Amino acid sequence: MARQGRDEQMIGLTIDGRPVRVLPGATIWEAARTLGIDLPVLCHDPRLEPVGVCRLCLVEVGEPKLTAACVRGAEEGMEVRTSSERLEVCRRGLVELLLSDYPVDVSRLPKTGSDALVELAGELGADWPARRRSGETGEAPGSRTEPAGGIPAGDGRALDHTSKVIFVDHQACILCDRCIRGCDDLQVNEVIGRTGKGYRTRIAFDLDVPMGESTCVSCGECEKVCPTGALSLRGWETLPEDAAAPGVEGWEVL
Amino acid sequence: MTTTTLLGELKKRGVKVRRRGERLLLSDLHGALTPELRAAIDAHREELLATLDGVERSEVSSVDSVCPYCGVGCAIRYFVDEAENRIRYADGRESPVNHERLCVKGRFGFDYTSHPERLQIPLIRKESSYPKGPLSTEVRGDRKRRPGGLVDYDEVLPHFREATWEEALDLAASRLVEIRDRDGSGALAGFGSAKCSNEEAYLFQKLVRAAFGTNNVDHCTRLCHASSVAALLETIGSGAVTNVFGDVRNADVALIAGSNTTGNHPVAATFVKQARKSGRTKLIVVEPRRIEMADHADYFLQINSGTDVALYNSWMHVLIEEGLIDEAYIAERTEGFEELEAVVAGYSPEVAAQICGVEPELIREAARTFGRAERAMIFWGMGISQHTTGTNNARCLISLALMTGNIGREGTGLHPLRGQNNVQGASDAGVIPMVYPDYQSVADPAVREKFEQAWGVELDPQPGLTVVEIMGAALEGTIKGMYMMGENPFLSDPNVNKVRKALSNLDFLVVQDIFLTETAEFADVILPATSFFEKSGTYTNTDRRVQVGRKTLQPPGGARLDWEITCEIGTRMGYPMEYGSPEDVFAEFTALAPSYAGLTHENLGLTGKLWPCPDPSEDGIQVLFGDRFPTASGRGKFVPAEFAPAKELPDEEYPFVLNTGRRLEHWHTGTMTRRSRALHAIRPGPVVDMHPADLEALGVEDGELVEVASRRGSIVLPAARSDRMLRGAVFIPFHFREAAANLLTIDELDPAGKIPEFKYCAVRVSPAS
Repeated sequence: MARQGRDEQMIGLTIDGRPVRVLPGATIWEAARTLGIDLPVLCHDPRLEPVGVCRLCLVEVGEPKLTAACVRGAEEGMEVRTSSERLEVCRRGLVELLLSDYPVDVSRLPKTGSDALVELAGELGADWPARRRSGETGEAPGSRTEPAGGIPAGDGRALDHTSKVIFVDHQACILCDRCIRGCDDLQVNEVIGRTGKGYRTRIAFDLDVPMGESTCVSCGECEKVCPTGALSLRGWETLPEDAAAPGVEGWEVL
Repeated sequence: MTTTTLLGELKKRGVKVRRRGERLLLSDLHGALTPELRAAIDAHREELLATLDGVERSEVSSVDSVCPYCGVGCAIRYFVDEAENRIRYADGRESPVNHERLCVKGRFGFDYTSHPERLQIPLIRKESSYPKGPLSTEVRGDRKRRPGGLVDYDEVLPHFREATWEEALDLAASRLVEIRDRDGSGALAGFGSAKCSNEEAYLFQKLVRAAFGTNNVDHCTRLCHASSVAALLETIGSGAVTNVFGDVRNADVALIAGSNTTGNHPVAATFVKQARKSGRTKLIVVEPRRIEMADHADYFLQINSGTDVALYNSWMHVLIEEGLIDEAYIAERTEGFEELEAVVAGYSPEVAAQICGVEPELIREAARTFGRAERAMIFWGMGISQHTTGTNNARCLISLALMTGNIGREGTGLHPLRGQNNVQGASDAGVIPMVYPDYQSVADPAVREKFEQAWGVELDPQPGLTVVEIMGAALEGTIKGMYMMGENPFLSDPNVNKVRKALSNLDFLVVQDIFLTETAEFADVILPATSFFEKSGTYTNTDRRVQVGRKTLQPPGGARLDWEITCEIGTRMGYPMEYGSPEDVFAEFTALAPSYAGLTHENLGLTGKLWPCPDPSEDGIQVLFGDRFPTASGRGKFVPAEFAPAKELPDEEYPFVLNTGRRLEHWHTGTMTRRSRALHAIRPGPVVDMHPADLEALGVEDGELVEVASRRGSIVLPAARSDRMLRGAVFIPFHFREAAANLLTIDELDPAGKIPEFKYCAVRVSPAS
């Protein structure tokens, strides 16, 4: 939310040379928004508490290190730069790393046209890895399974078709935790968490059961906040007929 | 293979192809993308990119509307494929109501509107299909229906012939006039719908009152919060909520009484859970089932069904005994405290514990927590209202709030969670037999004169009959003709075997709906109406927020707007009703309803406004009754209540207590949600929830069929093992006609609210071998 006002307590800073005053506690990202500057983000959503894991909102504040605007508080007299060659290189590099094992056949785009990672890749001119550019999609999506005990590589992370409304593609997950915060903090259903360590880390439902067997109530908040194709709408047209159709018994769900 | 045949092949297999920049994106949810197809796509890459140029962006448009399901009234943006006239997907939008959140019904349950079974042409019952009775073999009881089915069109439709709108409307109007002129206005009645808009509700009650000439007009509010409203009107002079649910974030304590909030008001529940999680708000849940809200509660009181009066009397006993009452508030703002004090003196926690089945110490602790709160909010649902003691239950909750000064400030208030998306609005608009729009009494001569002048006819001074009374009168033959707009009493009313006889007994029945319902099987004329998505109008949510639902899709075939149909019938009955648009109707309604004064479709905007709204540039008044109550004395009134048991207690023959209600994924009689693929896929059929030990005693495994029987009927359905149930209690949702819970329920009524006791009757459970 925009925390701009005329209070005595307000903090004054400049962003790209433009002065702005915000309430104490406001982040640089929020301050930039009040100036109409939309810093790129994947892990942040204004409805969620920021966690600063995707690092795409990096800005320069005159310190040696770049800082994540979504978590860094605005400070009096701060001079913030939101774009520079250095920032562009860093952001593009981050996106290219995320794209390196991102599946091409991700289903979110055709459904909603809002895959934030792919859109950002376009905006930043990020290079897709060579095997992606060639249009080669690797394994057929239906056959993607996680190797038992091994480290997932390439398209090795699993798909989860068990929910009737949400399609889970762990390969497309960038571990931004937006779904976890949406499920736990907004809807307070507390179904989604993380499991595994290191490269094997992924989101999990309840005590790591398939989504369709978990206590998920299908509110769709995780799909709504997901910035990639990891959690996407199945769409009603992929489901079998409804109760009014004849022979409803005996159908199978993918 | 050419590009065109490739695209055809992909479409046939459900594979979608989109272009994003220089890339092709494939959705392959069926795993149907074979290596051959992949190779073909690669080979045709350039042509595909050229063919698909620009498709994805122009494909969907969006409409900002609201959700058609529950009283929370979430703001939704629907994304529409205009060429196909279908909603592709839905998303929550920013609004004070839901802050972009949705539940499973709102997000996934919209596809019913495009179902091929939508009625599109007016239907008239064939001569050969008289005398009237149910048409499908199952409703006649000839055979058991296959699980999962709704009304069988193949069985019912042959009994009707297609007609023009002219013929159908003329027939409806002339038959209603004939009955009115022959048997008097009192022989007619109408059931409106809490699913229709304020405008449609207003016109419907106007038609019944001005053209039929009777106050026999009611709707499903009677089956939901009639007792709460009766208690609220009697004690604080207003039937609506005193504060919005979202203000729970400012409450120190939230009491949830008789409401399975996560199932029935899922998005409202998220705000309560969030308040609890923030550490600010303590949560007390009182419920006979250990519902999901109980998992979040600081105190959970799993009381025996129907013992609420004893429990809250005991709380008040503790509060008085321990000095946890607001003496100043009681002195300045209330009356009748002494009478209440005398009654609750008899309800020590030890006495209540015997009745309610919870420990006295837990009753004390919960009461103290409530009493010590600076700000407390009370939420309640059908667990309070749907009892023969429903009005008494609500009176106790109101007394509890009055005694502790918890009405009229931020973070406090009474909030009966309203069920239907427009049950608040349909009630505000006067689809209630005792009151005109805005709760103005039909028995008050001055009020009546005002409406007689506005509507230009003489009006009936007698309050009309309520839903269950109308069914009783139809059975007796005193009600002969009915007009039903979007109600399906065959499944929603208690004791449906009696409803069936009553419907068969009517001389003439017009049903206006979007699907063939069980009720439509008894109709003489069926009028195909528009769904929520095909019309514009205003809807009032549980917070009193009036919001605009905007037209999203084109109606199918010859279906017509509900408000136009109502006007056509009125005009053809000799009472001209002509309006240019829903805005015109809204203007007439708001002129007669002081609470809605100042509101227009235009100033409601995208997020609506709360009534009352004295300054339309503001959002409306959130917290009511900060200074005085709209009662004669300006004070809130304590109305004491003594505990009385439910009407039909368990005995040797019928040892279980039946509780009925809804499931998260389904809506009422299932006509909408069972035609939604997603909702049906998640929950395809009924189950009866039972305690594991009760199942074991019956020798029944989870998922095995049992027969549940009451003195009124019996059904067969699978048993579900649930440790959320008390021993001796069973729960059955009422959505499923193949195991209609309301075959079992009792049609005993609460004396003040006339609400049936849906939440309590005695049943027997046995293995169905």
